Amino acid sequence: MTAPSPRLQISGVFRKEVRQTIRDRRVMFMLIVAPLIQTVVLGAAVDFEVDRVPTLVVDRDRSAESREHARRLLADGTLLRAGEAASAPEAVREIDAGRAAAAVVLPPRLGADLLARRPAEVQVVLDGTDPNRASAASAAASGYFGGLGEALARERLREAGRPEPPQIAVVPRIAYNPRLKTAPYVVPGIAAMLLVIVTTLVTAMGLARERESGTLEQVLVTPIRPVWLLLGKLLPFLIIGVVDVGLLLGVGTWVFGVPIRGSLFVGALGVVLYLFSTLGTGLFISTVSQTQQQAFLGGFLFLMPAVLLSGIMTPIRSMPGWLQAVTVVNPLRHFAEVIRGVLLRGAGIGDLWFQLAMLAVIGASVMGLAAVRFRTQVA
Amino acid sequence: MSGPAERSAGARLRRSLVRIGAMASKEAIHVRRDPRTLALALVMPVVMLFLFGYGVSVDLEHLPISVADLDRSEASRALARTLGASGELDVVSSAGADEAQALFRRGLAVAALVVPEGYAKDLASGRRTPVQLLVDGADALVANQLVAKVEAIVRAETRRIAGLEAARAAPPVQVKVWTLYNPEARSAVFMVPGLSAWLLAITAVMLTALAIAGEWERGSMEQLFATPVGRFEIIAGKLLPYLVLGLVTFQLVLAFGMVAFDLPVRGSLVLVAVLGLVFLAAMLGQGLLVSVLAKNQLVATQAGALSAMLPAIILSGMIFPVENMPRPLQVLASIVPAKYLVHGLRGVLLKGNGIEVVWKDLLGMGLFAAAVLGIATLRFKRRIA
Repeated sequence: MTAPSPRLQISGVFRKEVRQTIRDRRVMFMLIVAPLIQTVVLGAAVDFEVDRVPTLVVDRDRSAESREHARRLLADGTLLRAGEAASAPEAVREIDAGRAAAAVVLPPRLGADLLARRPAEVQVVLDGTDPNRASAASAAASGYFGGLGEALARERLREAGRPEPPQIAVVPRIAYNPRLKTAPYVVPGIAAMLLVIVTTLVTAMGLARERESGTLEQVLVTPIRPVWLLLGKLLPFLIIGVVDVGLLLGVGTWVFGVPIRGSLFVGALGVVLYLFSTLGTGLFISTVSQTQQQAFLGGFLFLMPAVLLSGIMTPIRSMPGWLQAVTVVNPLRHFAEVIRGVLLRGAGIGDLWFQLAMLAVIGASVMGLAAVRFRTQVA
Repeated sequence: MSGPAERSAGARLRRSLVRIGAMASKEAIHVRRDPRTLALALVMPVVMLFLFGYGVSVDLEHLPISVADLDRSEASRALARTLGASGELDVVSSAGADEAQALFRRGLAVAALVVPEGYAKDLASGRRTPVQLLVDGADALVANQLVAKVEAIVRAETRRIAGLEAARAAPPVQVKVWTLYNPEARSAVFMVPGLSAWLLAITAVMLTALAIAGEWERGSMEQLFATPVGRFEIIAGKLLPYLVLGLVTFQLVLAFGMVAFDLPVRGSLVLVAVLGLVFLAAMLGQGLLVSVLAKNQLVATQAGALSAMLPAIILSGMIFPVENMPRPLQVLASIVPAKYLVHGLRGVLLKGNGIEVVWKDLLGMGLFAAAVLGIATLRFKRRIA
C-alpha cells in the first residue's frame, strides 16, 4: 500500500483546516476584524509626546510681568493651566490629590527683581510618579526661564559695552518624518505585535485542542505523514497572516499616513519569514502542552517578553547591554526593524540582509525543533 | 429568638455555602492537578516584572551620532569631542551628509552633525555660526530627545568658548525643580503599579475565561447543571479559586517590586489590598462574561486579549498618559478598570493617598464589576433555559 502524494496529503489537511476556521464566524472575526480594530485604537492611543501636563500657577508677584511670564511659559502647550494656587504648600496638596501634575511658583517681586537686576528664583514642583511627564514638564519650565536668563545676560553684556559672545546655532533637519508624528513609527510596530499574537496563539491552541479532544490521534492513524500534516495545518494561517498584513498596511497608510518608501517585495519577504518563525513557535509550544490552557500560558510566556524586548514600545538602545544581547534571538525585533526600515526609511535588501537572515535562521530552527518533537511524540 | 422561617433561611444559606465550597474545591483540584498551569500563572508575573523593571525604559543613552567635519579645524574637533564626552551620544564615524542617510537606513546612526566649512572663522568673528543636525525622525521619541540633547551640549560648548562661566555663576533667573514622590525618576517605581494591573488582568480574565469555556467545550458544564448546585453557586464556586490565585499573584508582584525595585509604600496596605480585591472582582466578572459569550477556548483567548489585556496595557495610563489621548479614547479609558487600579495604586503607594482620594477609583472599578457580573449571570441563566 502506498501513501498518497505529499501534495494530496497537504491539500487534504489544508482544506479541512480552512473549512473548520471559516465555519466558526467568531474565529474569523478574531483573526481578521479584531486586529484592525486594535490597530486603529492603539495607533490613536499611543503617543510618546507628552503635552497638556496639568499645571498650577502660583503667582506670588501678581504683577503685569509675572502674568506675562506665566502666559508665555504655558503658550507652547506642554504645560496646561489647571488653575491657580495661593502658595506652594497649597499647590503640593493639589498635586497630592491628583488635580495637577506640576506647579510653577513665581516668587514675590519677580518683575521688580528682574528690572533691578537682582537674581530671581523660580520654583517648579513636579509630580514625579511618571518620570517621563515630569522630565517633559521640567524641560519646558527650564527651557523657558533658561532662554529668558540667557537673553537677559546678553542684553546686560551689550549694555555694558562688552562684545557679545559667539553663538552656535543648531539647525535641525528631520529626515523621514519631518513633523515628528508618533503614529507612522508606532503603527507598523503594532501590526508586528498583533501578527505574532494572532498567529502564535492560534497555532499553539489549535493543535492543543486537537490533542485535547483526541482528534489528533485519529488523524495520525491515517496514512498521512506528520510533516505534511503540520504543513497543511500551518498554510491557512500563513495566508491569514499575509491577509492581515495587507489590511493593517492599508489602515496604516489610509488612517495614520504611514508612508511606503521602500520595496514591497523586501517587505513581503520579511512578512513570510516572520510568519514562518511565529507559526513555528506556536507549533513548538503546542508540542510541549497537553491542554489549551497550557498552550495559552506557554504562548504568553513567549509573547510578552518578545513584545517587550522588540523595540516596539520602548527603544532597544535604552535596555541594559545583556538584555540587548538577548533581543538578537527575538523574531519580533528583526521584523519590526525590517518593516520600519522598508516603510519609513526606504531601506532595501542591502540594508536589511542581517535582519532577514536572522528571521530565516530563527524560523528554520523553531520549525525544525517543533517537527522533531512532534515526530517523537507521534512515534 | 429566631423564627422557623429565619432558621430555614439560615439553613438554606449554609447548604448553599457548602455547595459553593464543593464547587470551589473541585475547581481548586483542577488547578492543582495541572501544575504546569499553576507554575506558569505564578512564574510569569515575576519574569514579566523583572523584564519590565530592567528592560522598559525610555531614557536614552549612547545614541549613535555621526559627525561630518567639513571644517577640519581645532574648534570643530573640539565640538566633536564635546559631543562624545557627554556620555549620552556615541560618535560613530565621520561621514558626509549623504553617507549619513545610508547609516540611518542600516540603523547604525540616528543623527548626523554637519559642521560647515568656515566654522572656526565664523566663531572667531563672533557671528552666529550654524551647524546642521540631520536627524532620523522615524522614531519621534528618539528624535525629540536627541535634538534636545545636542542643543544642550552645543549651548554648553558656546558658554565654554565664550568664557561665559562668570555670567553663569549668577544667572538672572534660576529655576529650582522640586520633584515629589519619585525624585530619582526611576521607571520601575512608575511601572510596577501598572504592571500589576496588567498581570492581574491576564491571570484573572484569561484563566477564568479558559477554565469556564473549557467546561462548555468538553460538555462537562451540562453535567454540573444536572447536580443540585444552582447557577449562582456554580459561578461563585468557579470564581473563588481564581480570586485566591489572583490575590497571590498581586501580592507576589508587589512584594517583588518592593524587594527588587524599592517600590515605596507610603499609604495603607489595607487600602492596597482592597483596591486589588475590587479590581479582581471586576476582572473575574469580565472573564466570566467572555466565557459565557465565547464558549470555546480559542475564541475566549482572543476575546480576552482584546477586551482585557490590551486595554490594561494601553488605556490604563500605565505607559501612555490618558490625558494625552484623543477624547473618544479618554471616554473609553474611563470604563477600563485597570485605569482606576493604576491610578489608585500609584496614589496609595507613591503619594500616600488615603480613602478620601481613592474612593473614586474604588467606585469606578466597583461599578464595572457589578455590571459585568450582573450581565454574565443573566446570560448564564438564559443560555441554560
